[in-house]
Amino acid sequence: MSPFACAWIPFFAAAAAERGEPALVDRPLAVVRGAAPVGRVVEANAAAREHRVGPGMTEAEARARCPVLATRPWSDERVASARHALLEAALTVSPRVEDGGPGLAHVDIAGLERLVGNARVVAERLVRQVGAVGLRPRVGVAASRTAARLAAQTGPRITIIPMGDERAFLAAVPLGSLDFPADLAATFARWGLRTLGELATLPRRSLGDRLGAAGLRAHDLALGLDRDPFHVHVPEPYWEEAQGLEWEIATLEALAVVLERVLERLCARLDVVHVAVDALDLELLLASGGTYQRLIALAYPTRDVRLMLTLIRLDLEAHPPDAAVVGVTVRVRPAVAQPSPAGLWQPPAPAHRDLAALLTRLTALVGAANLGTPSPADSHRPDAFTLRPFAASTAADPGARHAGDDEPEPRMMLRRAEPPMAVDVETDGARPRSVRGGGVTVRVLACAGPWRTSGEWWDTRAWARDEWDVLLTDTRLCRLVHDHLTKRWHLTGVYD
Amino acid sequence: MRQAAFLVAGGITEIVGGPSSGRTSLLVACLRDVTRCGAIAALVDTDHVFDPAGAARAGVELSRVLWVRCGRRPDRALRAADLLVRCPGFALIALDTGDLTPRLSLTMTYRLKLAVRRTGTALVVAARHRVAGSAAALAIETSRRALQWTSSSPAPSRLERVGTAVRILRASGVAPDVRPGTVYLAWWSA
Repeated sequence: MSPFACAWIPFFAAAAAERGEPALVDRPLAVVRGAAPVGRVVEANAAAREHRVGPGMTEAEARARCPVLATRPWSDERVASARHALLEAALTVSPRVEDGGPGLAHVDIAGLERLVGNARVVAERLVRQVGAVGLRPRVGVAASRTAARLAAQTGPRITIIPMGDERAFLAAVPLGSLDFPADLAATFARWGLRTLGELATLPRRSLGDRLGAAGLRAHDLALGLDRDPFHVHVPEPYWEEAQGLEWEIATLEALAVVLERVLERLCARLDVVHVAVDALDLELLLASGGTYQRLIALAYPTRDVRLMLTLIRLDLEAHPPDAAVVGVTVRVRPAVAQPSPAGLWQPPAPAHRDLAALLTRLTALVGAANLGTPSPADSHRPDAFTLRPFAASTAADPGARHAGDDEPEPRMMLRRAEPPMAVDVETDGARPRSVRGGGVTVRVLACAGPWRTSGEWWDTRAWARDEWDVLLTDTRLCRLVHDHLTKRWHLTGVYD
Repeated sequence: MRQAAFLVAGGITEIVGGPSSGRTSLLVACLRDVTRCGAIAALVDTDHVFDPAGAARAGVELSRVLWVRCGRRPDRALRAADLLVRCPGFALIALDTGDLTPRLSLTMTYRLKLAVRRTGTALVVAARHRVAGSAAALAIETSRRALQWTSSSPAPSRLERVGTAVRILRASGVAPDVRPGTVYLAWWSA
């Protein structure tokens, strides 16, 4: 069993605000969502909580309790940035880090004792690294992530649980420390359980019989066992290349030479990981001290240096910077490149550039709603289908069939009438005898049916109908439908 | 014979026939043969009559089909086909002209012919009557020959299959075994 460290940041939203404004540290601080006077506190730091300020109360009430309270509005970007910083700091300690949610990072510290030191040294290093990015963590070390997290949340700055002592440590921890589902927590409360130790003493088999998988998982957690897989956090790659210049560049030709070198370096990196880009963010540092930014969207994902350079040149010709350039930075937005052709034995698919231009023109011609790849819908309704965006991939589908293998029987196709044409049908008993539609009456020479279908009776889209295949005197072989809900006949298509 | 034999790479194939003659079934069979080989196909559907569920049952790999619905506008369908035949990479462009078959000018047909010759695409036009004239490398006429009904009672309860006669009207620059006047019989399950 490998040991884990857990870095936990108390009152994370407030800690994220303090990270941006270090002067707020140790001052009562509340993070507020909504404008005054209806704004409500969503997070408060430890100093504010000493004045009994907590989440849920109005800003006015919080100020009444703590006149020196500082408030900051909620910011998703600030919290996301702090969360990212925490994970980056944890990655400097171990390459195996799991994002446990806002303000929580699990670190697999197996094997670090020879590299860094014992568990306490690793924990101190983790505290130091996280502190360096402006956050003040509490760290717990234990044989399981849950035990490490509870140690961090209930203990002092660093808490080490010796291997094998997890159950003893967890025995006194209240059940509410683990976020069990509400119904499960209610059941435990009804049984009189208060601590994880009391839960751990219950017979496992009986718990499984009564509560199923959720009960067994709760029992595992109470014993300090983590069965959930460890989801390793893989940081997003940072696709940027920059070039500082020792002299000022005032002409586009000279700048293009520098841009080409920058793009070549960037595309070489992209090439290694088979990633293309669909947008370029160009930032030029100007001799005047300012910066000049251009965002250039690409019609299709590519890592073609010459194409990117041409697009940048065209853009800068149309929108030149107003001063000489002393630095160049290019950032790109990565997109997964589609391989083409797919394989040695597959015919080549259309080139991305040709296909992008074609789809754009077709969309302009017929509209986006009329263009795409048909896909059967998840319904038994005979005419149900969905239209997905077309992606020209000749890659073999999993379990793809090949010509000659398991050939399906040739089938008579139905030319569907969209929408189905309402017709009047004269019947002989239940069987159609003649059909009148569009002012013309035709006799039925032969018919087969009925095929009764129905579905989605639980929904407003319920359908129930009888289908008939009929041969008409005008040589058409049609499908007629008698709708049981509307009591109407429709011609839904002609076999052809 | 396999329906792919009616496809002419870099040429135009016409499938003509009246209602319920089997021309749409033949067109979809061509789509099936192409997509099951792993190639990409496009279907220009003038009247929005394509049945995706039926095509999937017939063996068409729908993920390799670009479906262009033209809202009963033949001019749009021709324009869409004109755009598609100029894009290399499609093995088959199927143009279903619908019930209101448009008149194709001589200029348009030769424009399509030259475009498919350059890209190597097979263009199949399904129509009520011939529209491509001498620009078509292969012209096929379909007509219904037989109907088979099944039943366990006196009244038929199921249409079992339909027989279609496929007659070669014109063959120019295609396989030598495909000769004008030759008739094949194809059976389609209902």
